Amino acid sequence: MNIRRISGVFFRYFYVLKKGPQQLSDLFYWPLIDILLWGLTSVWIQTYAKTSDLSLILLTGLIFWQITWRGSVDVSISLLQEFWHRNLVNLFSTPLKLSEWMAGIILLCLCKLVITVSFGALAVYVLYSLNVFTVGWAFLPFAALLLMFGWSLGYIASSAIIYWGHQVEAIAWMIGFVFAPFSAVFYPVAILPGWAQSIAWCLPSTYIFEGMRIVLATGTFPIDYFWISFVLNIFLLGFAIMLFTTMFKKSRNKGLARLQ
Amino acid sequence: MSIAVSVKKLKKVYKGKIPFTAVDEISFDVQEGEILGLLGPNGSGKTTTIQMLLGTLTPSSGSIEYFGKDLAHHRSEILSSVSFASTYTSLPYILTVAENLDFYGRLYGMKGKEITQKADPLLERFGILEKKKQPVSSLSAGQITRLMLVKAFFTDPRVILLDEPTASLDPNIAMEVCDFLSDRREKTGISILFTSHKMDEVAELCDRTIFLKEGKIIADDLPENLAKSISTFRLRLTIGDGMKRTVAIAENQGLPYSIEHRSIQFSLDEKSIPPFLNALMQAGVAYTSIQVQEPSLEDYFLKLVEKKL
Repeated sequence: MNIRRISGVFFRYFYVLKKGPQQLSDLFYWPLIDILLWGLTSVWIQTYAKTSDLSLILLTGLIFWQITWRGSVDVSISLLQEFWHRNLVNLFSTPLKLSEWMAGIILLCLCKLVITVSFGALAVYVLYSLNVFTVGWAFLPFAALLLMFGWSLGYIASSAIIYWGHQVEAIAWMIGFVFAPFSAVFYPVAILPGWAQSIAWCLPSTYIFEGMRIVLATGTFPIDYFWISFVLNIFLLGFAIMLFTTMFKKSRNKGLARLQ
Repeated sequence: MSIAVSVKKLKKVYKGKIPFTAVDEISFDVQEGEILGLLGPNGSGKTTTIQMLLGTLTPSSGSIEYFGKDLAHHRSEILSSVSFASTYTSLPYILTVAENLDFYGRLYGMKGKEITQKADPLLERFGILEKKKQPVSSLSAGQITRLMLVKAFFTDPRVILLDEPTASLDPNIAMEVCDFLSDRREKTGISILFTSHKMDEVAELCDRTIFLKEGKIIADDLPENLAKSISTFRLRLTIGDGMKRTVAIAENQGLPYSIEHRSIQFSLDEKSIPPFLNALMQAGVAYTSIQVQEPSLEDYFLKLVEKKL
């Protein structure tokens, strides 16, 4: 063992760590998100949760969160794949329009989602004998809204990636979890501090997770939550698509070849 | 012959603390069926120009027209008859050769059978047909370059932009590629814009050559005319006896020279060769071989890089 060579290896990765805030996400961002998510969930379980459907609520929340997470990650990873394969210039020097690329990605997301959700639900049923489709037909509009939210996050992340390139690629994985604690995925909004509740009620996802718990607890579909979430989603998705289109144009102004 | 590509006052300025002009109001045309070489040292603006011609980089000012249509307003329509290949890009390496061609064929509006019918003969011509079912990751750099050329040609483009397509190829394969380009032009009347650092290849293949330097066109002529504009010949002598006297005469006449074992090479004007050889003879220098090389496109390029033009 040569201490100099070991230090060489150490510094090879240490220098990477120093390259920017996104490199520090493993040290700070992910632990913080985990502490927030699971800490708040634990507080809720310990202090308030009296329900016998606790497992079902948590696992349905998990499956629902997968819809948003997959929607978001699939959009940005599709873009990143073109970077990793040095194919971006090839792709956008064809007759392909940006809108066509976006539509193709969304079509693929839908197919992947059906597979992911079906597999997840089956796994929950086999492992825990719980049916996450207990929410009934409400699953479909809820899933559609969560998917829209995921695409919005995906296009917002892609806006940064198409402009700044590889150096911000971790945002593809990070962005969804910024909103997870506020979306009240595993616990009611009421468990959050006041300022966080204000943020939570601005997110379309919060209404879905709250709505899911209402359906599981009472069996009634909260139509008002659905419409509020729908309107917020339309605004957010519209904003995300506009942002992505603008950033793509700005990036083309600097040259797509620089991103490869 | 009509104009395939028309570039007018094309300019690209990268904004920043110190703005940098990569391409400075260049104008040129590419005729239908013409092979145009775009040359210049690194940083001269070749790749920037190609990227603007492809629509992957927005010009600061100026216009690009293909067959009379403005690229900025008819991008998708124009690019359906334009293709591109470069050594510096790649293809999704997880996908097989066939999957990549299927994907690109679809982007150009082709259907499954048509893709196979058009791609297979080209794959065979470039010697990679047996690799069709293999992932791109299993191909060598040279094979990927050939696949890029298949990708560029199988959509039957009317204009093709090639950014150093032979850079990673063995000389025999590079020669085959040049033959293919020449042949394709003869048969289909395709217009080709070609960048390369291999000057012999450019001189052989291109009908016309544009030299860029610091973002500006400094020459636009036939390759042979550009070479002729250089008056410096190379004279190589293998000295049997009198190397020191030869060097003294060269230094006395102010001729640049380089020595390698018993050989010495001079750069001089054509008119200076006879008096120089005469001077060597009078000094009793004995040489066993003599080689005179005419100026080439490479000499022109080297002069350009040395900023002597």
